[in-house]
Amino acid sequence: MKEFRFRLLLIVGVLAFSIYLLYPTFADIQNTNKIEKELSLLSEDLRKSNPTISEAEINNMLLIREDSLMIKDPSITENREKRMKLGLDLQGGMYLVMEVNTSKLLEKLAKDPDDEFTAILEAASAEAQITDANVVDILATKISASGKRLSRYFGSIREEDSDIITKLKEQESDAVTRAIEIINNRVNQYGVSEPNIQKQGSRRIIVELPGVAKEDEAKRLLQGSALLEFKIVKEADFSVPIMNRIDEVLAANLNSETDSTKIDVTDTTNAKDLTAEQFAKEHPFYSIAIINPQSPYADAYVKETDKNQVMAYLRKPEVKNVIPDNAEFLFDAKPFTNQDGVNIFRLYLVNKEAELTGGVIVDALANIDPQTTEPIVTMQMNSEGAREWARITGSNIEKRCAIVLDNAIYSAPTIQGKIPGGSSRITGMADMNEAKLLQIVLKAGALPAPVEIMEERIVGPSLGQDSINKGYNSALIGFFVVAIFMIYYYKKSGVIADIGLIVTIISIMGILAAFHATLTLPGIAGIILTIGMAVDANVIIYERIREELKTGKTSKAAIDSGFVNSYSAILDSNITTFFTGIILYQFGSGPVQGFALTLMIGIATSLFSAFVVTRVIFDMLVAKGNKINIG
Amino acid sequence: MKVFENLNIDFISKRKIAYVISGTLILLGLLSLAVRGLEYGIDFKGGTDIALKFDKPIDIAEARSNLSKLDLGNIEVKTFGDDTGILLRTELQSVPANVYNEVIGEINSAILTIAADSIVSISDSSSNAVTFTFTDVNVANQVESKLQNDGYQTSRLDDNNIIVRVGIADWVVGELKSKIPNNNFEILKEDHVGPKIGSELKQDSVISVILALLGILIYLGFRFKFIFAFGGVVALFHDVLITLGLFSILKGLVPGLNLEISITVVAAFLTLVGYSINDTVIVFDRIRENIKIHKTASIEDNINIAINSTMRRTVITSLTTLFTSAVLLIFGGEVLSGFAFALTFGIIIGTYSSIFVASPIIYEYVQRTKKNIQF
Repeated sequence: MKEFRFRLLLIVGVLAFSIYLLYPTFADIQNTNKIEKELSLLSEDLRKSNPTISEAEINNMLLIREDSLMIKDPSITENREKRMKLGLDLQGGMYLVMEVNTSKLLEKLAKDPDDEFTAILEAASAEAQITDANVVDILATKISASGKRLSRYFGSIREEDSDIITKLKEQESDAVTRAIEIINNRVNQYGVSEPNIQKQGSRRIIVELPGVAKEDEAKRLLQGSALLEFKIVKEADFSVPIMNRIDEVLAANLNSETDSTKIDVTDTTNAKDLTAEQFAKEHPFYSIAIINPQSPYADAYVKETDKNQVMAYLRKPEVKNVIPDNAEFLFDAKPFTNQDGVNIFRLYLVNKEAELTGGVIVDALANIDPQTTEPIVTMQMNSEGAREWARITGSNIEKRCAIVLDNAIYSAPTIQGKIPGGSSRITGMADMNEAKLLQIVLKAGALPAPVEIMEERIVGPSLGQDSINKGYNSALIGFFVVAIFMIYYYKKSGVIADIGLIVTIISIMGILAAFHATLTLPGIAGIILTIGMAVDANVIIYERIREELKTGKTSKAAIDSGFVNSYSAILDSNITTFFTGIILYQFGSGPVQGFALTLMIGIATSLFSAFVVTRVIFDMLVAKGNKINIG
Repeated sequence: MKVFENLNIDFISKRKIAYVISGTLILLGLLSLAVRGLEYGIDFKGGTDIALKFDKPIDIAEARSNLSKLDLGNIEVKTFGDDTGILLRTELQSVPANVYNEVIGEINSAILTIAADSIVSISDSSSNAVTFTFTDVNVANQVESKLQNDGYQTSRLDDNNIIVRVGIADWVVGELKSKIPNNNFEILKEDHVGPKIGSELKQDSVISVILALLGILIYLGFRFKFIFAFGGVVALFHDVLITLGLFSILKGLVPGLNLEISITVVAAFLTLVGYSINDTVIVFDRIRENIKIHKTASIEDNINIAINSTMRRTVITSLTTLFTSAVLLIFGGEVLSGFAFALTFGIIIGTYSSIFVASPIIYEYVQRTKKNIQF
């Protein structure tokens, strides 16, 4: 028996691992049943004890109970995350309607937009919200109503209005198409989840995601525009005078607003004697945006609670006038906590013009920094980006370069020297999940215009229970027909093939679970079909063994040469199919990928069954002196 | 069981018959594809989403069966939000022409009940809206409030013109109100939705299939000879073309068989490409083995012996897979019927082609070039 030990262990190992991978799915089904039972008992109790209770109240109580159950046993949530999901057709999921904000796109496209333009655009997008009409059309009508030509803001002076409108509309619909592509890429990078992504009307996108776990994460994934920019931070001798001016302007302004009756003139030269209240009055900006005089940098420290106030200050027109056109203020993405436990955001003054944008990134990878154990995202730029990056870093040594994502600064490292390789890293993420999300978003590209979630609902399965039952039943029947045929045709050897078949099915399911695959009804049909194909390898081997037996070989010799002589046929045909699978997985998207995955897993597992499982059973039988019976 | 034991058929000499059969099938298929075309499903065409909100909880199975009785083509019905909402997706893009006139007629008669003596004229009608013109502003006001009471979606173009939307929802509402009388509902929204398979996905899929075929060509060329690879890929095209032709010829002819091209059916064709090469490779493998052993035998004999001796496994391997796809076709319901149909017939044709198409191509090549294949 010794010679079989390794292979038997291998088989047991594969089975155990598959079952381990499938366990969360089983556990989740049981948990869901348990919770449902408990909730229905509770709602019965509630109704009995208080017949006048309203439907809404009951639902509320049930929700509270469900939450408390989930909190009491964290394994419920854990299993739910690891389970094999059922697709939109079998279980339903989350339904989101998103709108691509095309007016933001027009704002970006416009050349030297003035206040009038901004006002017109605002009115146009408000109108478009109600009528679902095209923003470009409304905007064009409004601009010509104001007596201007479209070429004032778009295109070149020679172009007719109608040409410009056509071009803008093209760009608008391009933006929506790109947004769909990017959302598609982002969702698909999250695993094989079989989502539905469709365009609705002119600028809306419907996204349906199976299952509703990780709702917030999904929303962030879909909405984050991930415009990544590298901006040089202004040095202290540039930014301090500007902040001084802001402070002065604000003080003058606030005092004239609130204290227009107040006549006394306070002595501003003696700042250190001022009380906090007075200081706040005299220095409205510095009182909440504190500069550390010892630091070589002029970053202002703003408490989380004061952030909105500072932003409001910075939006004031008189403050805007003070800030030079080539610079802008940006906050940290995430506050740090000081020793008093207060969350602080840094406020930086940076170049408005980005040195480089995320478009040059070819690859991004979320990782853990081995030194700091902090989550980081490393990224690789294309050759053009790397060349630019080398130039930028070379000419800005000792300055800081802010990594800006969606207008928030993730980190602002000091450039130590010229970086020729084009590889960079981002720190400042809260946890690994956030880093993973950033990786996906960076790889999939930036949305051309912001998207907003308009509507969000939970939808039920798209197939009726009878269709689902039919699918399940035919799967079962298909399995039994094949299994019985094998026994009928190959007798005892057929039983061995069927054992191999069961191993195949269990490991297919296990590996699918490991890939977080989503089971749909066609997916199940595909698995059933693999059952029909999985026995093919056995059939080829058996037929060969039969041929070998006919030449007068002993059982052992016939089995050996039967297996050996079938290798080339089985491997060649399966490798060919496997190739197809790899290519479809690599280059296809969405449902094609899901299909390719099932195909490859089916091939790998059925080969394992044929060459290892059935083989070892045959060898053991022969070793025990059993006669081989192949039909 | 001793089937096909000691089989000795001269397949190569009968290849011309096979050429005629295959050629006719492909020609018929292509002809039908050109004339009748294929029926694309909602996955490719897009359609209309209608969300309905009921007053009381609604049984989704009942709603599904009621809605499927309407002439909405292929539909998808699911709960929307809580159990009082349903989302109906139909492949229709606008109200069908015959129903359109009916709806207009209903609107007309509704108008006539209050404005019998005023002059009504339809000034403009498009596929989803119609504009009525009234000479009297007061009458127009009355008509508008009456139409809104009846559940039509109207808006005023100006004092004299009323636009009435003729949406699919308006039509469904009329039909559904009579079917579910004791549960009132309103239309939450009606929107046109684009295809699930957008142009990018389509392009991606086509590219990946072409690359997959190239991969097969290269691998088989490397493992066997280029002519083998060529024969295998020709057989694949043969299988896919004939099956696709069958989809076109039979669409709409067999009741209960849904032959619309959907994502699932595309997956079935991909499976077919992957699977049908298997049988071919088994025969090729035996030809290769025979050529190695019987160096002096003619290619004709080697191919014939290879086909005859692998006949049993070719048939049985196809049979086991055929069992499962046939079960899906018979018991799987309408959702899976297209998928199962493509596979059932694809496998039969694939088995036939690995014997009668792929191997004879090798023979033809050797015949014509007078070159000997050696491994």
